[in-house]
Amino acid sequence: MSLIQCRGLTKDFGGTRVLTDIDLTVEPGEVVVIVGPSGSGKSTLLRCISVLEPLTSGTLEVDGQRLGAPGVSKRDMRRETGMVFQQFNLFPHMTARENVTIGPRKARGVSRREARRIADRLLERVGLTDRADHLPGELSGGQQQRVAIARALAVNPKVMLFDEPTSALDPELRGEVLQVMQGLAKEGMTMLIVTHEMRFAAEAATRLIFMDEGRIVHDGPPGRLLPEPPSERFRQFLGDVGGKDPSGTGEKPPPGR
Amino acid sequence: MEFRWEVVWNAMPQMVAGAQLTAQITLLGIGGGMLIGILCGLILAFRIPIVRWLVFGYVSLIRGTPIVVQAMFIYFALPMALDIALSGFAAASLCLALNAGAYITEIVRGSVLSIDPGLTDAGLALGLSYPQILLTIVGPLALRRSVPPLGNQFIISLKDSALFLVIGVAELAQRGEQLTAQTGRALEIWTAVAVFYLIMTFSLAMIMRLIERRMPIL
Repeated sequence: MSLIQCRGLTKDFGGTRVLTDIDLTVEPGEVVVIVGPSGSGKSTLLRCISVLEPLTSGTLEVDGQRLGAPGVSKRDMRRETGMVFQQFNLFPHMTARENVTIGPRKARGVSRREARRIADRLLERVGLTDRADHLPGELSGGQQQRVAIARALAVNPKVMLFDEPTSALDPELRGEVLQVMQGLAKEGMTMLIVTHEMRFAAEAATRLIFMDEGRIVHDGPPGRLLPEPPSERFRQFLGDVGGKDPSGTGEKPPPGR
Repeated sequence: MEFRWEVVWNAMPQMVAGAQLTAQITLLGIGGGMLIGILCGLILAFRIPIVRWLVFGYVSLIRGTPIVVQAMFIYFALPMALDIALSGFAAASLCLALNAGAYITEIVRGSVLSIDPGLTDAGLALGLSYPQILLTIVGPLALRRSVPPLGNQFIISLKDSALFLVIGVAELAQRGEQLTAQTGRALEIWTAVAVFYLIMTFSLAMIMRLIERRMPIL
């Protein structure tokens, strides 16, 4: 059964159409990277799928639960997706461990001891065991984003959504976050990732989606789309983000991003 | 004109009694004001339909009229309209609570709105409910952020309580007036009254500073 299913998903902000008639189906184990120029609706699509934004029209199903169906609460649906934000959005008054335990404690209702066990296991997995008692303000951006990934994983979501997880990071801190994400992909986690990291797309994605002006323009394996861009628009976009080297052999992301 | 210390000394028991009453009215006023302000501030911040217009009306009314007029209204006009009896002390405490409540409403609203909405998104994405997010994330953060402006408001309320001399409540300023009339020594009496107020406001400021230091503003 598909984990995510959008049919005719449309989203307006005021009078502006941000997403137009999106059909998207994601199967378990897929690692879908969504790219596109700024303003193309990528982040809005993730926010709709994580039920942080109401749809204007269309349907959304996550793990068989349909948004708006009787007996399905938004809260139930949100627990099935884990969200990682561009700006980390860690709770600044809680330690790294408390940031990770709050989800299991409050949303899943697990015991304090069990939540702590989950948190310690996940912090170890993102390599931050020795930072468990630090406040977010005492951590580097890369460490904060790794805590945020652990926090999202802690409620045991079926799908992980990443909204430009490395865009707010200095280039030398991006690697540690991408490495954690790559590890998740290898373990078979279903992931939907909005990013400009074309190397990551080439290496880790099983599927690449190119969005432009609120529509899905291309959808296919990165091994096919990247070497031979099917449209001039996509070719131009790849040039702009420095993704002309999809083999991933050493090209650095361009400066200033 | 010389400063006669014995005037101050003789007036001391009355001054202390007045200061005690001032402290009681202030504590009741800011305590009640906090209850009103937190409730109304949350109603405004979360844009609760209909009631928020009532709150908006209340805040506009209090901010738009002088506190002297409010005191007069509560002490003289309200009992007449409702056919009840209200002691000066009760009227003063009620007036101060209603007055502080309006300003605290705005402080709470501003503090809640200043918290990054991304944190609410993060809480929602984890599957937390709105009440859980308010109690564990937005509330604690907003509370920390509101400590400095609340301290400011508490001091203003303490000083505003001096106005209740117009309704004959025997608080510090009213005692000052009476003692001046009795002794004819305005210099000594009003100097002493000012020092009493200074001690109280300074203590309040120190308490707020201590609270601020114990919970870092994030």
